[in-house]
Amino acid sequence: MNCSGARKWIPLYAGADLSVRKNRRLEKHLEKCASCGREIEELRAALDGVRAVASRESIDWPEAEWRGLMARVKSKRPEARPVSPFGAIPRKAWAYGLAIVLVVGIAALILRSIFRPAAAPLLSEIMTATPAQPSRALKIDNAPSMNNPRDVPFRVQRYQAERLDLATLAAGPAPEKATQNLMSLTLVSQETGLKVHWTFNRNFEWKEKKP
Amino acid sequence: MVELVLGGRTEAFEPLVTPYRRLLLTLAYRLCRNVEEAKEISQETLLRAFRYLGSFDRKRSFKNWLLQIEMNVWRSLGARAADEGTLRELAVENTAEDPEEKLAGNEVRERLLACLDGLSPREREVFLLRDIEGRNIKETAGVLRTSEISVRVHLSRARAKIRELVKERFPGLMEGQR
Repeated sequence: MNCSGARKWIPLYAGADLSVRKNRRLEKHLEKCASCGREIEELRAALDGVRAVASRESIDWPEAEWRGLMARVKSKRPEARPVSPFGAIPRKAWAYGLAIVLVVGIAALILRSIFRPAAAPLLSEIMTATPAQPSRALKIDNAPSMNNPRDVPFRVQRYQAERLDLATLAAGPAPEKATQNLMSLTLVSQETGLKVHWTFNRNFEWKEKKP
Repeated sequence: MVELVLGGRTEAFEPLVTPYRRLLLTLAYRLCRNVEEAKEISQETLLRAFRYLGSFDRKRSFKNWLLQIEMNVWRSLGARAADEGTLRELAVENTAEDPEEKLAGNEVRERLLACLDGLSPREREVFLLRDIEGRNIKETAGVLRTSEISVRVHLSRARAKIRELVKERFPGLMEGQR
């Protein structure tokens, strides 16, 4: 640091108002510069002189004027305190509250994306591998479109997968993991009685069977 | 005590502000350099303090709050006139006629006023609050409603000017402190 740089900081240094870092740098310079040191002494002496003058100088209200002023003040009413439902809460509390809400919200979004439940397994994945033979024992569920037989020339026999699964499991050996490799669908014509039996494999490739 | 005043006991206002009556009047005088003007500023400060007491934040310093009001009053009432130099002329006139001022010690006052004369209004405010009233940088910034950086800049300039003024006009003042 040179003298011109130091002189910019000297006025604040003289009143101990310089930041710690600048203070240290200036003191390093003062160790080797007597001229700047003298300048600080002069400045401190000037400030002390003005302070000494100021401490001797003080003016006060004449008592009568002070009493008159107080009487005038007391004759008035202070304005009502501003009433606000949020006024009692300091600004800092609002800021902290908002920050907490934001942080919690962001954390919730992150956690949700991390721990999102895996998509429900396909029915075909949880059912055992079995040829889905239509069975009379299974409950037939009429599709709503079958209400008017004139519109659709056949009836869909939909077999409930769960029951099919249970029935098949009871009949065959229990597999280690429940998966379904095949699914069947039978269409029955209302007019002709023709039945079309579709069998879908795991890849949804189908075979048609006409009994 | 603030609660008492707000609760309707207005007589509690006097003991609340009495400790600061000298401070307010003297600071106003140093700012505007005229006793009558200083009384007007100080009076307006107290009236406003009473009127807006409900908005005073109890966590803050009451003294700093009063100083802040006084600075606002000074800026709205006195700063312009002081810049134009009219108050200075009035002060000289009043000093000659007012016996109270004679008692207060004209010489001492004039020496201080002469030093403050060389400062801009903002430098004078910062210098008076920090170096004469002993507020720290943060408090000064709060009273003047400005940044600490701005206070440091004006304070640095003010001190450098004061040093030059004292050295040039009142070298005896410096000698007495060494």
